[in-house]
Amino acid sequence: MSLVFILLIITLILPLLSYLGYFSRVPRLDNAISLANVALALYLYEFIPYAGPFYVDFTTWVFILMVTSIHLLSQVYSKSYFRNQEIWIGENLFNLLLALFTTSMLFSLEINNLGLMWVGIEATTISSALLLMTEKTETSAEATWRYIVIVSAGVTFAFISIILIYYSIGTLQISSILAMKAVPTLTLNVAVAIALIGFGTKVGVFPVHTWLPDAHSEAPSPISAMFSGVLLPTALYVLYRIYEIDPLRDLFVWAGVISVIAASLFLGYQTRYKRMFAYSTMENMNIALVGMAVGGQYGLIGALLLLLSHSFGKAGAFYSSGSILRYTGNKMIDGVRGLWKSMPETSSALLLSSFAVTGTPPFGTFFGEFLIFYSLFTVHYYAQLVLLLFFVMAAFISVNYNITKMVFHGEAEKNGEEEPVMSGLALLSSAIPLLIGIIYVVVTIGAL
Amino acid sequence: MSTFVEELLFPLSSLILVTAFYMQGQEFIRPMIRGQLVQSILLAVISVMMGIITGDAASIILAALLVVLRGFLITYFLEKGIMKSQVHLHEKHVSVAYLFLISLIFVLTAVLIVYSVVFSGIRTESITGNQGILVFPLALFFQGLFLIASRRTTYAQIMGYIEEENAIVLFAVFLLPIPLLIEASVFLDVLALVVISSVVVVEKFTHERVVELRG
Repeated sequence: MSLVFILLIITLILPLLSYLGYFSRVPRLDNAISLANVALALYLYEFIPYAGPFYVDFTTWVFILMVTSIHLLSQVYSKSYFRNQEIWIGENLFNLLLALFTTSMLFSLEINNLGLMWVGIEATTISSALLLMTEKTETSAEATWRYIVIVSAGVTFAFISIILIYYSIGTLQISSILAMKAVPTLTLNVAVAIALIGFGTKVGVFPVHTWLPDAHSEAPSPISAMFSGVLLPTALYVLYRIYEIDPLRDLFVWAGVISVIAASLFLGYQTRYKRMFAYSTMENMNIALVGMAVGGQYGLIGALLLLLSHSFGKAGAFYSSGSILRYTGNKMIDGVRGLWKSMPETSSALLLSSFAVTGTPPFGTFFGEFLIFYSLFTVHYYAQLVLLLFFVMAAFISVNYNITKMVFHGEAEKNGEEEPVMSGLALLSSAIPLLIGIIYVVVTIGAL
Repeated sequence: MSTFVEELLFPLSSLILVTAFYMQGQEFIRPMIRGQLVQSILLAVISVMMGIITGDAASIILAALLVVLRGFLITYFLEKGIMKSQVHLHEKHVSVAYLFLISLIFVLTAVLIVYSVVFSGIRTESITGNQGILVFPLALFFQGLFLIASRRTTYAQIMGYIEEENAIVLFAVFLLPIPLLIEASVFLDVLALVVISSVVVVEKFTHERVVELRG
């Protein structure tokens, strides 16, 4: 049994241990364990690539890092978010489900078998469904149900794809499939196309994205952050692994471009800020899908850079939204005004995260998007490039216009004091994409 | 023996489709649950038969899983849920006959399109050597989708989901036996989803348009 295998097993166990740590008399032991998991994820870099019962390469490693980090942030944030508030499913069950949700995402990322990856993705639905309904409102119950039905139906559809891959190749082990370089057949084409619809449901590909804005807007903010920051990227990772078997580049790039166009149009008339951020997630996931589909030196690196920066930026956006919702009790964009006076820290975090998720320079998302656009240019996909540029710009204007309205326009009524942990975490999370961008510039200049 | 068993596959698969249309035609929840029970048992019988044809013991284990998890446990949870939430009456404002006709047209059209566009070009052979038998899981899958889309109650939509999962199992059983570990996980998965759905159903029995979730 190799060391890396044991370490990967530990990454799966630590979220569950952090749940047990919650009961310990040692203060904040649960958070310390989750922090240890982030450190372990960083340490795993030393061992990649690895293929055995698990399959971890650089791409997988980036995703593992994202999941463990956002889990830590959401775990800490949720304690303050739910303080003085009753959790419908109970605090214990909430923490247990959060741990299981994280473990199932890590399992989906690490396991070296497409069938078990599918099981992991389904397990994320099971473990996260009740988390979505934590605040037990009529709307959240409806959003939960839509999430269960639409995502389960979509992922069931994806299972046809797994069956067809097994029928064509005779194995589901990712490392073996990638090593053998299967000859594309019509059956494989159909399998990969079905995966785009099936797993695409969870990624937020148009038109099977309909659960996404409902779930993101109705879930409690720490869970919205997990959904947006890491759940959708995890599904995208599984889709990418299937795409690698038989790259249907045209289909995937067009699916991504059309989804970005749709998300950008939906963003234009949103009236609720959490729902607006949900559509922004759809936009970012599909830009990353385009990058992964084009692949190569620029496309894939661009997608990873975008996803890593987006996960922290969007977590920051939802943490800020959670603070604003707690403070104002209003979900409407037009119902929130003058935040810079009433909530200076949170409004700074909101502004930063808004810039981060819309790809403003010098945030990491900007360089990610730039590399993806450049990759489109290198493969002569000019029409797709022009469409993407136009609609990404439109989305940028929609999101930042609404956020600046919330922050700078009008006068706010003072309802109380900002919760320092919540606003601090929002600020920290929103600043990380900026740091990623700066590191990327420094490293790139260093390499030149 | 094997030929006789193979000949039985077609009528049994047809019966599975009959249960699917029976469920679509029901206004009351309890008969739908019973329909799901019969469908799962039929699926188990087909799995045993495929085990006999291929000599694969995994198909027999799969059949046992089907009986225990879908036949017994899922039916138990759903029936228990009905008693708890007192929603065993019926779904209001549903024109069952009209929806039944629409579902027939939808399923026939969908299967025809999928077969002519996708499967005609793919060299798929089922274990029985007859590609035509794959019509049944396809039709069952689309019928499950239609059941979800056409009904407003949580229970009816759960039935549609289970029907879809049954279709996938039937598809896998006919096309090739996939590793048992994955099939077992699929079953546990459905069970867990049904348990969660039972929790949701207590809070929300019907599903209508919600203003806050528009756009």
